[in-house]
Amino acid sequence: MRSLIQALSLLLFSVFFVFATYKLPNWLPADIYLRLDPLLGMNAVFAAREIITRALWALVTIGATLFIGRFFCAYVCPMGASIDFLDFLFFWKRKRHSLKNEVSLRKAKYIFLIVFIVAALTGLSLAFLMDPMSLLTRFYTFFIYPLATTVINLLLDLLRPLFQALGWVTLSHLHYFQSVYYMTAITLLIFEGIIFLNRFVPRFWCRYLCPLGAFLSLISPFGIFKRRVNEDCNECLRCQKTCPMGAITEDPRGTRLPECIQCRTCAKVCPQDAVAFPASLSLGGEYSKVDFSRRGFIYSLAGGLGVGFLATQTPFTLKQSKNNLIRPPGAIPETEFLRTCIRCGECMKSCLTNTLQPCLWESGLSGLWTPKMDPRLAPCDQNCYVCGKVCPTQAIRSLSLEEKTHAKVGTAVLRKEMCLVWAENKICLICDEICPYNAIVFRPVEGYRRPVVIASKCNGCGFCEQRCPVKGESAIVVVPNGEIRLKEGSYVKEAKKLQLEFKPDPGDDKFIIEESGFKVEEKKEKSTLPTEKPQPKKPKGFL
Amino acid sequence: MRITRRKFLKMAAAGTALTLAGRPSLSVSKEEYDLAVISGEPAAATKKALEAIGGISRFIRKGQRVVLKPNMSFARTPDFSATTHPLVVATVAQACVEAGAQQVLVLDHTLQRAELCLERTGILEACKNISGVHVLALQEKKFFREIKIPQGKVLERAEVIKEILEGYAVINIPVAKSHSATGVSLGLKGLMGMIWDRESFHSQYNINQAIADLATVIKPQLTILDATRALATGGPGGPGEVKKPNLIIAGVDPVAVDSYGVSVVPWYGQNFKGRQVEHLLIAHQRGLGKIDIDQLKIFKEKA
Repeated sequence: MRSLIQALSLLLFSVFFVFATYKLPNWLPADIYLRLDPLLGMNAVFAAREIITRALWALVTIGATLFIGRFFCAYVCPMGASIDFLDFLFFWKRKRHSLKNEVSLRKAKYIFLIVFIVAALTGLSLAFLMDPMSLLTRFYTFFIYPLATTVINLLLDLLRPLFQALGWVTLSHLHYFQSVYYMTAITLLIFEGIIFLNRFVPRFWCRYLCPLGAFLSLISPFGIFKRRVNEDCNECLRCQKTCPMGAITEDPRGTRLPECIQCRTCAKVCPQDAVAFPASLSLGGEYSKVDFSRRGFIYSLAGGLGVGFLATQTPFTLKQSKNNLIRPPGAIPETEFLRTCIRCGECMKSCLTNTLQPCLWESGLSGLWTPKMDPRLAPCDQNCYVCGKVCPTQAIRSLSLEEKTHAKVGTAVLRKEMCLVWAENKICLICDEICPYNAIVFRPVEGYRRPVVIASKCNGCGFCEQRCPVKGESAIVVVPNGEIRLKEGSYVKEAKKLQLEFKPDPGDDKFIIEESGFKVEEKKEKSTLPTEKPQPKKPKGFL
Repeated sequence: MRITRRKFLKMAAAGTALTLAGRPSLSVSKEEYDLAVISGEPAAATKKALEAIGGISRFIRKGQRVVLKPNMSFARTPDFSATTHPLVVATVAQACVEAGAQQVLVLDHTLQRAELCLERTGILEACKNISGVHVLALQEKKFFREIKIPQGKVLERAEVIKEILEGYAVINIPVAKSHSATGVSLGLKGLMGMIWDRESFHSQYNINQAIADLATVIKPQLTILDATRALATGGPGGPGEVKKPNLIIAGVDPVAVDSYGVSVVPWYGQNFKGRQVEHLLIAHQRGLGKIDIDQLKIFKEKA
């Protein structure tokens, strides 16, 4: 029964994950699991120092845990489910010795919790390192999703002859877009590490390390369902040995309530049927206390402050204030963005073109896994605005298409020394051709027609950078200069104020003709452009 | 499948024979026209153009499989005129189905993300209720197959959508637009949407020669040029100046259709003739079709 609920929860998590694409309907909260996570919510709220509406969903989890107990870990948590299922796969029937310093290990998760909360209070978002929801979504985004695409495409290739023989036209032409990410290997290693820890004890992660579990365990002793053992108990200790959380004391009648996730394994294995989980309003007795010392508390407090100091007092922070990365459209101002982003990777999963990529060390520890645009890899599609829609903490604001279009992410800059037209007098107009807003025009400069960026028409989408035929680095690059980052209010209004206009209209394309394949009569060319020197090459296409 | 020269000649001969056999000149008393130029709303004009050219059954046998090649390369709505009007595509698809086509594939090798192109152009939506019609964007090399181009001047081989090697009838349904490298992009230029490696046309070869080379091996049975709107500047992707000639131009001769297409609007603010478009002139000189529109028999009407 529990496995079934767990499986359903994991399935639901996966389904929401799959739905996080540009087609996501407005009513569907694809990021709901992340919103329900109180640790991520607290982390973002404390670090950003303001109430985040979507994070209020976490109150549901807090309320349910206060009322029922720490059931979340056993039934809802998709990370817990993954750990349980993979444990069954890899370590089933494997002999595992209980660890010697169990009690002190158990404290580790509280240390992490306090470190993260304190770090958040200093303005450093850190919980993403170990929050299970964030970890798992990242694992799905950077590993499972690309892998699934590859496997599905392989299967489609294998079955293609069959589809063709059956005349199934759509299936025989089906192929899914393969997304790729920079941090796939690292993310996989971390996940593997978590699973590997089960080698020592089941649910090692949940018992000793998970900071979300630590938070829930703190408030769980108020829950009404508590383990009770009646007088039939013959002290066979079977329950104590099988408990996946190590929540049963030396005396099998006792329960460490904060550790108990109400999975009821003990009740199932008891040969005497002596274990039950009745509803009771009592407050749990001697073992309900969290075994955490004052000294431990002070140490982790200091730890949190220390990490806060280490991560914020670096040259990276100074560079961050200069916004050295291109963030997704609608990302709030950089400082707030870094504080609010929980690095779940949902935006990168949903990104239509795969331009959103995780940062490694580009902006230091405080920028790990945050999304940045990589326009050389792919542009930002101008019809898509899903990244904000799926952001659980609204570090990227959920915007309408019109607003998103005006959320300028940067400006294209021509590097003349590399540009084929500027540096080599070649004829190339790919950037001009591909620009959705005609922000690139050809102007006569010293007798030659040269591409020029009109900054007020460029919203930084990156099509030009991606398509530039120069090998290696592009001769036209999007830089964050001119980006609009608003915490609130309208981007359209802001863009108007700055006299920017992103409109797909013809613009002044009048200089293109001679380059465009028609053969233009000589005298005509002279009369229209009398000041120009002869062009390096005959016009293209027209005679 | 490899095509030897002998096989190719045989196929070409068979194709010619079929085309000849299919010509309704004996059965239809109407004078035979080179082009049908119909003005009107997209759907009505397309219908009329098909009638005027002798009915789609002239090109499609019962039980035949058909490839329609519209331009749906850009994720732009029809008003940008960068893609074929969805109603033109749907009308032709419907006509093919009514003529007894077993299967109609609407195909293009899109430049932008496939699903967006199919959606934004409206072509997927327009065709979704016609049974037997499938709208697909091919963006993987595995859906293409290499053929030799025996008459190629610069292009010796190309990977083409494999359906056109499998006995499918091909109907080209381009949109009228300007093009920054070839002047205009009409039917012949649109054939580039049926090959895998377009990049080399731009970077490696003389694009105008390469288009003519391609036209020697990909020979649509019919070309229906959607000039209901024409992107007069800013092509091929737009945004640019959209003019409204409201015309559908249909014909068997791909060069003639394109040449007429050049004349319907001024491109980049200037009037041109087909002869002034390099790739059309090359195609004409290589015997692929007529280029002087005053020598064509043209059926003109309003729908």
